[in-house]
Order: sequence, then C-alpha cells, then structure tokens
Amino acid sequence: MTSPLETEGGGTPLVVDDEKEPAREPDTAQLEGRSPGRLMWIRFKRDRTGVISAYVVGLFFLIGLLAPLISKLYGKSPYTVYADERPELFDSAGVPVQPNGGMSGEFWFGLEPGNGYDVFTKLIYGIRTSLMISLVVTLAVVLTGILLGVSAGYLGGRADFAIGRLIDFLLAIPSQLFFIASMPVVVSLFVSPRDETPTYVRVVALILVQWVLGWMSLGRILRGTTLALREREFIEAARVSGASPWRIIRREILPNVVTPLLVQATYLLPGFVTIEAGLSYLGVGIVEPTPDWGQMFSKASTELVLQNDITYMFFPGVSMILFVVAFNLLGDSVRDAFDPKTAR
Amino acid sequence: MKEEVVDVTKDEATLPAPRDAAADGPGEPLLVVEQLVKHFPVKGGFPIRRTIGAVQAVDGIDLTVRVGESFGLVGESGCGKSTTGRLITRLLEPTGGKISYRGQDITHASRKQLAPIRSEIQMIFQDPYSSLNPRQTVGKIISGPMEINGIQPSGGREERVRELLEIVGLNPEHYNRFPHEFSGGQRQRIGVARALALEPKLIVADEPVSALDVSIQAQVVNLLQKVQKELGIAFLFIAHDLAVVRHFSHRVAVMYLGKIIEVGDRDSIYTRPRHPYTHALLSAVPEVNLDGTDEAQRERIRLAGDVPSPISPPSGCRFRTRCWKAQDKCATQEPPLVQISGNRPGHLTACHFPEEPTVEAREEDIVLDPALAALEDTQPKTGGAGD
Ligand SMILES: Nc1ncnc2c1ncn2[C@@H]1O[C@H](COP(=O)(O)OP(=O)(O)OP(=O)(O)O)[C@@H](O)[C@H]1O
Ligand code: SF4
Ligand SMILES: [Mg+2]
Repeated sequence: MTSPLETEGGGTPLVVDDEKEPAREPDTAQLEGRSPGRLMWIRFKRDRTGVISAYVVGLFFLIGLLAPLISKLYGKSPYTVYADERPELFDSAGVPVQPNGGMSGEFWFGLEPGNGYDVFTKLIYGIRTSLMISLVVTLAVVLTGILLGVSAGYLGGRADFAIGRLIDFLLAIPSQLFFIASMPVVVSLFVSPRDETPTYVRVVALILVQWVLGWMSLGRILRGTTLALREREFIEAARVSGASPWRIIRREILPNVVTPLLVQATYLLPGFVTIEAGLSYLGVGIVEPTPDWGQMFSKASTELVLQNDITYMFFPGVSMILFVVAFNLLGDSVRDAFDPKTAR
Repeated sequence: MKEEVVDVTKDEATLPAPRDAAADGPGEPLLVVEQLVKHFPVKGGFPIRRTIGAVQAVDGIDLTVRVGESFGLVGESGCGKSTTGRLITRLLEPTGGKISYRGQDITHASRKQLAPIRSEIQMIFQDPYSSLNPRQTVGKIISGPMEINGIQPSGGREERVRELLEIVGLNPEHYNRFPHEFSGGQRQRIGVARALALEPKLIVADEPVSALDVSIQAQVVNLLQKVQKELGIAFLFIAHDLAVVRHFSHRVAVMYLGKIIEVGDRDSIYTRPRHPYTHALLSAVPEVNLDGTDEAQRERIRLAGDVPSPISPPSGCRFRTRCWKAQDKCATQEPPLVQISGNRPGHLTACHFPEEPTVEAREEDIVLDPALAALEDTQPKTGGAGD
C-alpha cells in the first residue's frame, strides 16, 4: 500500500496559479474549498462496485440493528423451541418433516433440526450478535492502534522501541491457536468452571482475545504514517508557534491518519467477523441458545444436521460470503477513492 | 557604493531601490548566536549499536541579527544552513553554544519558557507542499498560531486572516479553501501569511523560494522584501546561492561545512570578497551587468569535487580540499574568523591566504574540475586536477 500522504500533498491544483496564468477557469464563483475528504467522497461515489458494496454492507448492519423489530413483524423469536411447541412439524429424530429443512410460508428459511429453532430469526439475531462483537473489537483495535501507533511514531525513541517490540512479540504468537487456547482461560477468569457461563462473559472474552491480537497491523501502519508526518514541515510550523504535543497530535496528525485508518478498518471488520464465526464454530465462542452467525455453522456441521438437512447451511453460508465479499470490495473502493494513484 | 547590477530575482515592474549604507550601520542586536554547535550522533556497529561518530552539521558559528535587518545565510547543500535555522527557532536542541534573543538566553529553554517569545520568532519553510497541513483550510492554517498563543485581534481572527491574505497578495475569499487547491507560489504566500500572523520580530526563512519556479521566485522574494521593509521584521534568509539574497540582505554570511567562513555587509561580500569560497560562489552567480561589463570581465572559478562529509571534516581549514590556494598551514591550523586588513569593519574572513578584494576577471580562470578542464584544454587555465 502506498502511503496515502502522497495524494493529499500532491493533487493537481484546482485553482490555476493566477500569477502565471491570468486566464482562470470560469467556475471561480465556487469559493468554498473542497476538502480532501470531500474529494474522496466524490471519487467514491463514482465507483459503482463500491457504492453497491456499501449498500450491501449497510443492509447487513440494518438487519442486525433492526433484528428485534423484524422478528416482531415476522412474529417469531429465535429462542422458541418449535420441537416442543409444534411437534407435528418434526419426525422422531427431530428433523423437520417438510422438505428443504421445513421451509414454508410460515418458516421462511426452515427450522433447525433438533431443537427446532426458526432459522430466519436465528440468522438475523446471529448477524446482530456477530456484527456487534466485531464492531466493538474493531473500535477497540482502532483506538489501541491510534494510541500506541501514533505515540510510537510521534514520540520515537524509547516509547517507539517498547511498542515496536510489543508488536513483534504479539505478531509472533500464532493467533488461531492463541484464540482457541485462551478463550476458556479468559472465560474462567470471570466465572468458576463449575458454574454456567453467562453469555455476556463469552462475549467479553471473545472481544478481549481478538482485541489483544488484532491491533498490531493497524498500529504498525499508523506508526509509519505518523513517522512520515512528523518529518513534514507543517508539524514544525506548529511547533514554532508553540503548539503542545497534544495539540499537534490532535490537530495536525490525527486528521491525516484518518485515511489509512478508514481503509484498514474496512479490511479489519470482516476479518473479525470471520474470526468470531470461526471461534463459535469451534465451540469456544458463543454457544446455544444465543443466536450467532458462526455458531450456526457449528450447528450445521453436527451429524444430525449434516446428514438430514443440508439446506440448513445455505442461508448462514450465503449471507456470510455475501457480507465478507461486499465488505472487502468496499475496502478496496475506499482505498482507491483515497489513493487514486494505486492501481489494483 | 551604488550598485547597478540586476540579477535573476529582479521583477519586471518593481526593482527595489538600492538600499543605502545607513542600513549597514549597527542597530540594536535582536538575535545573538555564539559558538553554536549541533552534532547529530551517527549510530552503527555490530552487534551492539552505539554512537560511532557525529555529523558535525553546525560546528561553532557566531552571528548577530539586528532589529529590522535582513541577514542572508548562504552555502552549498548540506553545509548546515537548515540546521542553523532550526536551532534558532528551537526546533532542534543545540549541542553547544548559546542563542540569545533580546538578551535572553534561549539556548535550552523549554516549550513553556519559550512561550512568551514564540510569537516573535517565526519560520517560513522550504517546501510549500509539505509546510501546509492538507487537512486544514487556509483560514485554519493561518489562524492556528493565533489560536495557540491565545491572540484575539480586535476585529476577530477571521478578519485578521483575511487581512493577512490580502497583505500576501491572495484573495481573502479563499479563506475556506484547502492547500491542494493552490499552486506552489500561492502556497508559499500562505506560509508567509502564517508566519506574519503573530506579528513576529524575526522570521527565519529557510530557502523559501528554492522549490518554486524561477518566474515565481522573484514575486515571492519581492513579497518578503515588502513585508520586511513595511513591517520592519528582521529576516534570517537562508539560500543556497548568492543570487537570491543579493537584493534582499543587508548583511550576508557564507557557510561551508558547518562553519561561517565569511561574513560582511552586502557590498563587501558581493564586490570585495576575500575568501576563496566566496569568490567561487560569486562566480557561479549568473548575472547581467548593466554598466557594460559582461561575463568575460568577471572572474571565473569552477570548483572540483563535492563537499566533504560532515562526519569527518578536513583538518585545519575545511575548504582546503577544494581550495586552489591551500598550503601546509591550512591543513594544520584552522583559520580564525577575523577582520583582515583592508576589510571594512564587520567584514570577517576565515582564511590564511585571502584573495584580492575584487571580482574582476583574472588573468587565468580557475578551473579545478578535471573534466571541465579537459574540455577547455584550448583555453588558458590554472590549477588542474585540484587536490
Ligand atoms: N536530523 C538529522 N540527523 C542526522 N543528520 C542530519 C539531520 N539533519 C541534518 N543532518 C545532516 O546535517 C548536515 C547539514 O544539514 P542541513 O539540512 O542543515 O543542510 P542545508 O545546508 O540546509 O542543506 P540543503 O541546502 O540541502 O537544505 C547534512 O549532512 C545532513 O545530512
Ligand atoms: S585557509 Fe587555506 S585552504 Fe582555507 S580557504 Fe584560505 S587558503 Fe584556502
Ligand atoms: Mg536546508
């Protein structure tokens, strides 16, 4: 990734130098300046893939946000055990009797073999859980990345050295193994192993482990960007005027790291969604009966479901692929809009 | 001595009237720099990294800038000019020496201690593309210094910014525009406006025009000159050749490898230089003489090689590796910066064997560059493969 700084500094002047050429473009009436952010937005809007991906991603967030409302209108709850309520829909093994996993006008996406949860509400609530967790992780990672990355870059010296070694150390840890191994440990910090683990503890633990191993790449990028920025003369100009380090970071540096920050965050979030799904799939994340995207895959891979109801996998699978692909395309478009010089 | 020489910085419309010698008279000292030293440690070594040397970027310089005076600091790339400017504005911590501003020692003053005089010393930077924050509007950029120092002008900050934009020749309506919407020359004007926002007494201008088109350079220099005269601001004008500062500076210092090798009022430096290096720099200045004398009547000196590394500068006189007059003494004794007999007061030179105080053409050109010398084999020459 080339540094987005280059674009911001360069860029063709929109106003022709009136010292050189008195003949100016006729559009000088527009005196309100167009900020780099505005220009980026204009470029982004021209990118059709990006706009469509943005709508798709937005739709997912909307679904997650409105899940309670949608299920109210739909008239079902993801916690209703239909195997008990409507036993006539299931055979003796607990598999829906109707074809395609019990899909019908009443149960749009069918019923889950075993307990007989409604797949549609379970999916939208699952999306809600997953997105919420990933969003919190992304937020925590972004804040940590800014805090550690920018201070390492700006302060340099010992702080930089310490943070740099910390990053190296954390990067050396195999993250998948760490997640699987540390989840039970983190959970046991909150509750004794004999008690029932409350859902929120699992959520907090998921957020914690992903956060601890999630911020380094962003931290590194921000450190590099800040290091490059620190050399720039406008920082020196601020120092000559007597600006405090805090003001320099807030007013001069942070606005200039927004670009890499946004680009990275749009790549990070779908990554966290898949990690969270993976952990739940492996059984160390969210467990029944809390609806969760990844946990639905885990359900789909149980023997009962796998052998009797292959369609169960369809909706969680397709929706997740759609989400991750759309989010990554969005990330690409955001990067292109910020940095039009990089060819893909 | 009236000067009638026009140089490249001349603007078609307004050639600034030559200043008279009164300006050369002693004014009250504003900034006094004594034996200023800045060494950058060089790290290296294996397996343990340690300091293995030092870049002697600035190695003991003295200079005085008086109230309202413009002082030119000239030297080749890498000789420590920017470092000097950054030391004076306290962007860098001096390794040694003393900087005093209006009698107050600011050599190691902290940010808080500097606060009262921060507004009095401002800086204009070399690169108009990196000196303005791309994320801030022009208005924010120029009002930033006022905000930091809590200055509330009578008509409000925005009004003051518009006024400053007008002073530097920009449209005040451009208040809400962003730097990327301006050309290099316009950006540099914004930088000037920002430096003026605090009504400073001293502006350090670090090669303010060398990144600009030649045609625009003149306009920016004229702007600086106008500002300097009308607002009575003292300037430390850094440049890498003598042409740019010619009309601008009351006094000029020439730097070589971290040392000042010659300093004096403008006329002395331009017409009666004594140091061989000053002669060489002057002969590199392209100029058209109006009084009929042309290029051929000026001396011609072409130096060979590059500036030696400031990590291990030559012993004795630092210029000796490129000097055509170097002798044994030059390698063993460092020449002090003194007034040589025949020099005007205040005209100091650091050389054991100074040149004649003239820039008239010599009998033989001094061409030390072997390639250039070979090319000009047919023409008379001295020197040869220099060092
Ligand atoms: N932060 C630094 N760390 C190490 N060395 C430095 C640093 N800043 C400057 N130097 C070195 O100090 C010497 C003088 O640099 P300086 O920038 O003052 O030169 P200059 O005269 O301004 O040159 P130019 O005309 O290219 O701007 C150079 O050799 C440079 O490599
Ligand atoms: S002291 Fe010697 S080497 Fe240095 S400039 Fe003078 S003559 Fe040349
Ligand atoms: Mg420089």
